Amino acid sequence: MSHSPTRRAGTFLIGGTEAHTSRSLPALLLPITAVGAALALVPLWLGDSRVLMGVAVLGLAFACYAIGFNLIFGSTGQLFLCVGALAGVGGYGAAILADTVGLPILVSILVATLAATLIGGLLSYVAVKRSLGVIFAGIVTLIFTLSFDALLLGLSNLTGGDTGRSIKTGAETFLRDQIPPYYLMLALVLVFLLVHGLLRRSHIGWAFRALRDDEIAAELAGVDVARYRVYGALIGAAMLGLAGSTYAFTEGRLSPTTFGFGQVDVVVLVMLAFGGIGTLFGPIVGAVTFTIVDEILIDFGQLRQVAYGILIIVLFLRMPRGLIPAMDSLWRRVRGLVGGRE
Amino acid sequence: MMANILDGIVLGLQFGLLAAGLTLVYGLGGVLNLGYGQIAVTSAMVVAFAMDAGMPVLPAIGLGLLAGGLLGLFLDLTILRPVYRLRGEARVLLSLLLTLGVSFIVDGFLNWRYPLEALSLRIGGGAVEILGVPMRRGSLVASAITLVTFAGLFVFFRYTSLGRAIRSVIQNEEGARLIGIDPKKMLRLILILSGVLAALVAVTRSMVAPVDTKSGLSITVFALIVTVVGGLGDVGGALLAGIILGIINVVAADFIGSYISLIILLGAAAVTLLIRPAGLLGVKE
Repeated sequence: MSHSPTRRAGTFLIGGTEAHTSRSLPALLLPITAVGAALALVPLWLGDSRVLMGVAVLGLAFACYAIGFNLIFGSTGQLFLCVGALAGVGGYGAAILADTVGLPILVSILVATLAATLIGGLLSYVAVKRSLGVIFAGIVTLIFTLSFDALLLGLSNLTGGDTGRSIKTGAETFLRDQIPPYYLMLALVLVFLLVHGLLRRSHIGWAFRALRDDEIAAELAGVDVARYRVYGALIGAAMLGLAGSTYAFTEGRLSPTTFGFGQVDVVVLVMLAFGGIGTLFGPIVGAVTFTIVDEILIDFGQLRQVAYGILIIVLFLRMPRGLIPAMDSLWRRVRGLVGGRE
Repeated sequence: MMANILDGIVLGLQFGLLAAGLTLVYGLGGVLNLGYGQIAVTSAMVVAFAMDAGMPVLPAIGLGLLAGGLLGLFLDLTILRPVYRLRGEARVLLSLLLTLGVSFIVDGFLNWRYPLEALSLRIGGGAVEILGVPMRRGSLVASAITLVTFAGLFVFFRYTSLGRAIRSVIQNEEGARLIGIDPKKMLRLILILSGVLAALVAVTRSMVAPVDTKSGLSITVFALIVTVVGGLGDVGGALLAGIILGIINVVAADFIGSYISLIILLGAAAVTLLIRPAGLLGVKE
């Protein structure tokens, strides 16, 4: 390209407020516990409705996807356009291993998650080794998504093709009850949050911040940028695979749209951009907000897509760093006005 | 084998034309227009409506091309303004996010208002034999239009001063500015040209298969893949990449079967991308 390439891609999107690093462990555990407690109350309110509980479980699955994607894109600046495909490797993989191969449910979840992890790590490794930029890495991962879609349609004896397949394993257990799946997915969300929070406090989080803020400076300061990129992708992909396979067993039905690019990747990107890319709680804020917005707009059919389009444009033009950093800076300004300087 | 290669070339010309409009905008402006397929689909709808209203085919197609150009101009004047303020990868990223929003709005509206509308320019008459292989008339007309378009693009970029000015911006934006070329004006021209090319994609495609309101995403995705394989901003590379991928696709489909051929096509694109990140004809920076 003609203009000078800047390697700090995406920094215009990513919030720079990083107040979590120096805090003590309770300062990390407290907000996560608060989020968990608030979300744990949801079934008291929606528990009577099977449909709404299904929506809530899907919302939590999206929160998991958003946390995983946040680790890959927000923390290490790799645009993975295969969030749905990696979750799908977990979901379809676990379903096939349990139903067709006959492995125990936990083993199949484990193996499928491992597969998603390795694929994510491999994609990242290749992109890093060939030093592809954000956009080219995005296109390579998009090609993976398209190949995965083609496989789903092609291997129809395993995947059920276009119409999808049902999952027999786990059918008579708590996994298909009305309330327990919600708490299962909530537990995943909280564990993922904790993992991400602990990572941020560790030397890995320090390296993530360094390479995201200025890759060349980080390299010069002795951060092995390539290695930490791959770490980020491995951890994020593991989250995507685990969330996808767990969700598959609670849902009991899979179709190409369950993990489709338009249905998962685009939505996760919007959720994350709304909540705040690179922030700890941005994925939760985004997932909760958009699950509710989606439910409100459900009667509008195709016009819902128009609304999403307008939202994407307004969001990235007006609030490119997302809600949490925006609130954060507003709060600082208010505090500055009221209490003077810190 | 001859039949495979000819079919591959016909498909490849389609691929090449698909990428031409996208690659110019990407190469010149660092703008990745994910609304590209939607420009094509909207133009197809304009042609279809004009023909429904009783307009003859050729003026209707002219109207469609005009619509494509206007849509490109519209993008340049509105949504891309803030994009131009950024540089490098940040610019690409913001442009792809904003145009993704545009593609959602267009897709959602068209699927809501005209879910059953499609453009299909069937060309009658029997098959024509070329080198002993019977070819459909529609694909031949589409290929002829594509070849003429590419010839026009080559002449434009090589022999006209405007085309050279545009190429100079692709090579070095600052340098072009220093010798008095306004990159913004060139970009606007390219967006209009890209819109017209997108409309042309819709027209030639509809001679082979109907273009409906849901075609937008697949047009954009294939255009994107051919674009990166061909090299950014390189029209010749787009043509070459299109033909190679077209032949790979047809041969793989013939020997192996449909869905794996798509995976082979995608794999070939990924491998090219990894071996030659600057594209088939590109030189390493």
